[in-house]
Amino acid sequence: MKRLAENWPLLKGDYTIGEPTSRLAVVTLASELKASPEAAIWGSAKTENLGVEKLVVNVISNSNIRYVLVCGTESRGHLAGHSLLALHANGIDAKGRIIASEGAIPFIENISNEAIKRFQRQVSMLDRIGLIEPEKIQKIVEKYKALGEPYPEEPMLACPPKKRPNPSLIEGPVQGDILISKDFVMDAASGLICSTCEKEY
Amino acid sequence: MFRFQKEQEIVNIAGVKVGGQPGELPTVLAGTIFYNKHEIVEDAAKGLFDKQKAEKVLNLQENASDETKNPQMVHIYGTTPESICRYIDFVAEVSDAPFLIDSSEGQVRAHAARYVSEIGLSDRAVYNSINMSISESELKALAESELDSSIILGFNAMDSSLQGRMAMLEEGANLLDRGLLSIAEECGIVNKLIDPSITPLGDGAGVALRMTLTAKAKWGHPTGSGIHNAPSAWSWLQKKKEKDPLLYKICDIGSTCLQQAAAGDFILYGPIENAPYIFPMAAMGDIMIAEAVRDLGIEPSTKHPFNVLV
Repeated sequence: MKRLAENWPLLKGDYTIGEPTSRLAVVTLASELKASPEAAIWGSAKTENLGVEKLVVNVISNSNIRYVLVCGTESRGHLAGHSLLALHANGIDAKGRIIASEGAIPFIENISNEAIKRFQRQVSMLDRIGLIEPEKIQKIVEKYKALGEPYPEEPMLACPPKKRPNPSLIEGPVQGDILISKDFVMDAASGLICSTCEKEY
Repeated sequence: MFRFQKEQEIVNIAGVKVGGQPGELPTVLAGTIFYNKHEIVEDAAKGLFDKQKAEKVLNLQENASDETKNPQMVHIYGTTPESICRYIDFVAEVSDAPFLIDSSEGQVRAHAARYVSEIGLSDRAVYNSINMSISESELKALAESELDSSIILGFNAMDSSLQGRMAMLEEGANLLDRGLLSIAEECGIVNKLIDPSITPLGDGAGVALRMTLTAKAKWGHPTGSGIHNAPSAWSWLQKKKEKDPLLYKICDIGSTCLQQAAAGDFILYGPIENAPYIFPMAAMGDIMIAEAVRDLGIEPSTKHPFNVLV
């Protein structure tokens, strides 16, 4: 069975790739800590929305990962680590808000509920928020790097929809509210530049 | 370049004018001091810092502003109620510039709002920011304060499209029961500075530029952003920075011109140490824009870089 998505990790970010077959992913929150090559992926996450989303996408697209170590210093106000743990424990409500997160803006916009449920099933969270000592983190890496079996399903692709076609494309000339020259105006909302015809300012 | 059909508001914050048509007023520039990992900070929780170095960087910005005539504000960032009060005290004593009070924590911002009101500095302060995360306690503190200037952030965590960001300001985008502009008015905010919210590249940084145009066309309020956050959050560029710091600096400082070309009135340009580079860059942008709109009936102000530097 395929365990690693092609082009894994799917999303770019502030991380280092180690051993992709490792069972452990490490998120160091707001701390920059030297990466262990024995973790599948090792990186920071500073925001309670986009940062959390990227981590989920990159974890569920590698079925080898069964544990996520959440360590390092929490990002103040954002509470990315707390929000990640809350997402895993509770999921999101109908408005996309991470249930019971106290982060500033803990909303999940770009990934589906299905992807979140897969994340909840695939991995266990290791809550070590505040831990920054490299030797203690390394001990955890060694304990979990080969623990258990890969998740028994193929990698899940849950890329954010930024490559979707824009559903609100506007066609044709519209009235303008920004004067460019005697003959042309721009409509700020649509971004279209069009002829003024008889329009006067 | 272009001019807006909608009348463009100009607000006056402690003598600094912000807003207007493109090319009318010089871009207002705000450098950040006491930011995360700022080397002058010795204890971020207590707000202890090297005062000599802090004064030096404030002077750096003031001198740059004196030379190009781009007005300055000081963007103060604090992580605790204790630290932000110390920072405010210091900046208010050393500089005459208006200052922004900013923190990633609402309770710290709320505390700062109360503090500047108590010590009589509310007319120099700009709240940063009213955004979708505002809590009832923060809202109450802001309403009870004497602050009348605030940045209003067009960030929408559920819909980062232009429509989603505009809806957040206008009616709450189904996430709040009213729009952030109404909330600002309820809190007594008169000087509304719109920030379309610079999200990372690939996640809508460019949309923020479109929103600058749209917000000014729709409401006429002064609009601007911390556009340097786009290169700053770009992982690819951060890796390049390790080998070539100049490359990063070029993108960081150059981003200023993008916001200016999209009709930005103010720019939160990040680390205040960049002032000697940012101010000339912004002055150049201002001059070009002023030249481009002269036949649209827009006259640059007397102290505009167009009238001072060329």
